[in-house]
Amino acid sequence: MVLDSDPVVFINWLRPALFFFLQAAAVLGLVALVGGFLLAAFRYGPALGGDATYRMLKTALSDLVSLSPRRIGALARLAVQESLRRRVLVGFGVFLLILLFAGWFLDTKSYDPATLYLSFVLTATTYLVLLMALFLSAFSLPADIKNKTIYTIVTKPVRPGEIVLGRILGFSLIGTVLLAVMGLFSYFFVVRVLNHTHEVDIASLKSTPGDTEGGRSGRTTLAQNHRHQVTLDADGNGSTDIAQGHWHEVDKHVEGDKTTYVLGPPQDLLTARVPAYGKLRFKDRAGRGVDKGINVGNEWKYRSFVEGGTLATAIWTFEDITPERYPEGLPVEMTIRVFRSYKGEIEQGIRGVIVLKNPTNGRTSELKTFTAKDFSTDHMKIGRKLSDKDGNPIDLFDQLAPSGELELWLQCIDENQYFGVAQADVYLRARNASFGMNFVKSYLGIWVQMLLVTSFGVMFSTFLSGAVAMMATLASLVLGFFTKFVFEVAQGTVQGGGPLESFIRIVKQQNVTLQMEPGLSTDVVKGADAVFMFFMQSVTSLLPDFRQFSTVDYVAHGFDIPADVVGVQFISGLGYMAAVFAIGYLFLRTREVAR
Amino acid sequence: MNQRARFIRKIVYVCIIAALLLPLSWLSQPETSESKGGLLAQMRKDNQLSQANLGEIDPASETIKLATLGMRGVAANILWEKANYYKKVEDWASYSAALEQITKLQPNFVSVWIFQGWNLSYNISVEFDDYRDRYYWVIKGIDFLKEGTKYNTNEPRLMSDIGWTIAQKIGRADEHVQFRRLFREDDDFNGSRPLAQRDNWLVGREWLTAAEQVVDKGVALKGESPLLFHTHPAMCLINYCEALEEEGTFGEVAKNAWKKAADAWTELANRDLPTVYNFTIRLNEKEFFQQRSEQAQAELNRLTPPGSREKIAAEKLAALSEKEREAHDTPAEQLTAEQRTIRYEVDQKLAVGHLELADRVTGEDHAEALKAAEEASQADFIANAIESERGIVNFDYWLLRCQVEPNDDTLAARKLIYDGDKAFLSVQLPQAKANYAQGFDRWRQVLDTHPKLLEDPNLTDELVDSITHYQGVLHQLDETFPQPFLLQDVVDKDAIFHGPRLGPLSAKPTDAEKPVAEPAKPAVETPK
Repeated sequence: MVLDSDPVVFINWLRPALFFFLQAAAVLGLVALVGGFLLAAFRYGPALGGDATYRMLKTALSDLVSLSPRRIGALARLAVQESLRRRVLVGFGVFLLILLFAGWFLDTKSYDPATLYLSFVLTATTYLVLLMALFLSAFSLPADIKNKTIYTIVTKPVRPGEIVLGRILGFSLIGTVLLAVMGLFSYFFVVRVLNHTHEVDIASLKSTPGDTEGGRSGRTTLAQNHRHQVTLDADGNGSTDIAQGHWHEVDKHVEGDKTTYVLGPPQDLLTARVPAYGKLRFKDRAGRGVDKGINVGNEWKYRSFVEGGTLATAIWTFEDITPERYPEGLPVEMTIRVFRSYKGEIEQGIRGVIVLKNPTNGRTSELKTFTAKDFSTDHMKIGRKLSDKDGNPIDLFDQLAPSGELELWLQCIDENQYFGVAQADVYLRARNASFGMNFVKSYLGIWVQMLLVTSFGVMFSTFLSGAVAMMATLASLVLGFFTKFVFEVAQGTVQGGGPLESFIRIVKQQNVTLQMEPGLSTDVVKGADAVFMFFMQSVTSLLPDFRQFSTVDYVAHGFDIPADVVGVQFISGLGYMAAVFAIGYLFLRTREVAR
Repeated sequence: MNQRARFIRKIVYVCIIAALLLPLSWLSQPETSESKGGLLAQMRKDNQLSQANLGEIDPASETIKLATLGMRGVAANILWEKANYYKKVEDWASYSAALEQITKLQPNFVSVWIFQGWNLSYNISVEFDDYRDRYYWVIKGIDFLKEGTKYNTNEPRLMSDIGWTIAQKIGRADEHVQFRRLFREDDDFNGSRPLAQRDNWLVGREWLTAAEQVVDKGVALKGESPLLFHTHPAMCLINYCEALEEEGTFGEVAKNAWKKAADAWTELANRDLPTVYNFTIRLNEKEFFQQRSEQAQAELNRLTPPGSREKIAAEKLAALSEKEREAHDTPAEQLTAEQRTIRYEVDQKLAVGHLELADRVTGEDHAEALKAAEEASQADFIANAIESERGIVNFDYWLLRCQVEPNDDTLAARKLIYDGDKAFLSVQLPQAKANYAQGFDRWRQVLDTHPKLLEDPNLTDELVDSITHYQGVLHQLDETFPQPFLLQDVVDKDAIFHGPRLGPLSAKPTDAEKPVAEPAKPAVETPK
């Protein structure tokens, strides 16, 4: 799985995030207070304006502490009933239709079907649920105000805050139930579609070349558009190779004079690896420490390459290497890219070595050679009892990682051939988590997104008409999905200039690399863009980055979603909801209907 | 706004909608047994644009097209960008999924199938290190193109691309030995095809021939030269023969294969081929037109007063400017760059045309002379056009190969050299020596009979490789290299094509010439 940055650590994230939240809340609060005062002062004069602002603040605080769970619950129930009346279950029907006909549109011969199917169900659910939340939340209040049915509520002893919160909770509740059912269906859909087995093609079994102990190899029958190569030991048991991202165990069964080979369920297909990542650094061909390896000309600079037959090395430093954590030795998993500068032996893979090293005293284990499997995860088990480079026995934990810190050195043996690695490409598979739980965690991310869209929709609907509120929520959502890009445009790091300059370039069909003609018009355009970009930067800084709530990649590639990520999602979501609720409350409070 | 105004406004809207729908409905009336249908239906039929004309109707494709509400072009563009991104970040599962979606959206956009099929087989496959993975992606590209033919049944470009990829990618890649082996073993791709016919060149040819049949039915061939298009099937058979021999199959199998290749080449030669000159040619008619020109020229010469040609040449020479004359009189090796250009133009000017000659004929023979000159010029033009087309596909060379290769002498010569190489690689030096010596003898006979073969750089290259091995064998056996060498003309010719490659005859063999190389030791140091 591609990890562009270091995995987030909740504790490290919390403090600056909380600081930013309080800072933003203070600035926004101050702006609202001053703006409110100026508006009131303009209408009623400074004294009365000040008084109105004070009363507003006082009422808001009083409303906040007097929020009644019973009234909120009642309003939430009303929102649920309204949703059901508005046939929200149609969304679920659409989802079922998508699942039923998914096989028509998906690549059934995919190289990695698990990734494809999981990405599909999670993405489809996200879009459907978010759209549903958008429509439900944005039209409800404006419709009530337009039909004047809001008076049946506001004439009761309810506070504006309770109206806003009741609607957010009601719509969220209906969304939650829908999401839960969708999740259940998705889970069984994926499990049913991907689960399969094969039979061993008995006619294909032949003695394994070079195996003197009677091992045999052959292939399986075709199932789900793929087949495997089978390697059996002398007893007839064994395993298959990895195809479409999974493998099977093979067991021999003898009944009377009849021998059958039974393949187990697919392994590593629906899984949740819990990786322990190390910190990566490099050494160049002369053995000097460098930040990165070689770029072999790839446009994508995620991986760095180490040159074979030289001292170039990729070094990972792992922490917390203890016998308690790894009682059966180190389960190393590697995904290594291979770059050949010449063809070499076509049927022979590029070879590499791994060495474990004690970072404190420099003691090393003997070389462990392997042949790199490009675009495939290589599993390697390193036992506790090892030998050092002179052949003396050493203990993995006692001699190489007494402090819990251990280095893994990786080199390419073949001259002028290269290995490409990134930090997340080599990790220790600490354990396997439950795939079902991982699936649930991914749905929690979608759930938080649904809560946010609902909150934004209700907030915008407190002061905008239904259609405009929907557009505003949609804009927040789209901006939220492209936060990174918009932020980069706002900072001027994207070629083509700001929004106005880009627009002019599009109209004139001008290449983004060409400089604009110097002159007054260009200065005006750039000046206007600077204002736009400041505004864009401010807005994108405040809007939630919806991609941070998506954990599709983790589940699709078979990695456990770390608790830290879930924690960050929850706290971020909660923070945004609180802020959006406050804004929604203030806007509704200022409206005549809610006074 | 009161109720009445609102009602009237709605009625106006409905009327406008109805007014727009009426002509649309009239234009798009479907075709029935009684009527030709509306204008749109007729245009669709005339241009073979209805889905039923184009290929299979896929419910998935139709659904996704409808679901995009007419925005499928935009959706396809976005998906295309995404596919490019996935390719960049090496996310192959998402990449092929995006392709699937694009082709579902626009199944009759043939360029998408062609471009992305090529991408899969040629560009994505080489990203993988393991040749088996590479083969998987080559086949995925071919399957992708095959999927395209379901939606576009009468599209020769797609069929031709399938044939090309099966033949050329599998048969010419660096990994062609492994690819051809995997292709033979590939039950999933070949289905019930018998093992003997599971050769990529033969299977590729099937598709190329199918594409030819579609073109022969009248479907226009867009974006490809007809000459090359029709040459591919015959070349597949020739390449099949070469592959057989490369893998050590000689005797009757190779002989029959070469005969079939010769038949296919003759068939190509007899085919009417459109040209850029706006007339069709047949590759085997060059000699016919040359003969016709000669006859016409003979007739023209008979009618022309003696010495006319020389007289015209002298007049043309006298009319040259001073600069032109200087360029004409200067020896070729002393010409400046500018003079070379002038010299070329002067040569063109001085050439005496048939019509110029005919103009000198007076009296009652003038008309006849003009006719003969016209005939000779036309025949020359067609012969030159055929010659030019022949040159593009190396027609004469392959014709010669097809004639020479099925001969027993050639087959025996090739087999002996193959056995020699095999013995050399397995360090059976006396056997290698005997095979090489006999093989070179046989090649001498073949080359004496067909000296034109010496013009083939591939053949000289192959033979000089074997001669180099032979030299090494003799050296290992402490024997001297025979001089003069039997195939010295081959060595000399190869030196012209590729530069001198044969080492000094008395020198010890180089590392490259040694039959078995020492395995390289790992150059990695243990981390300190």
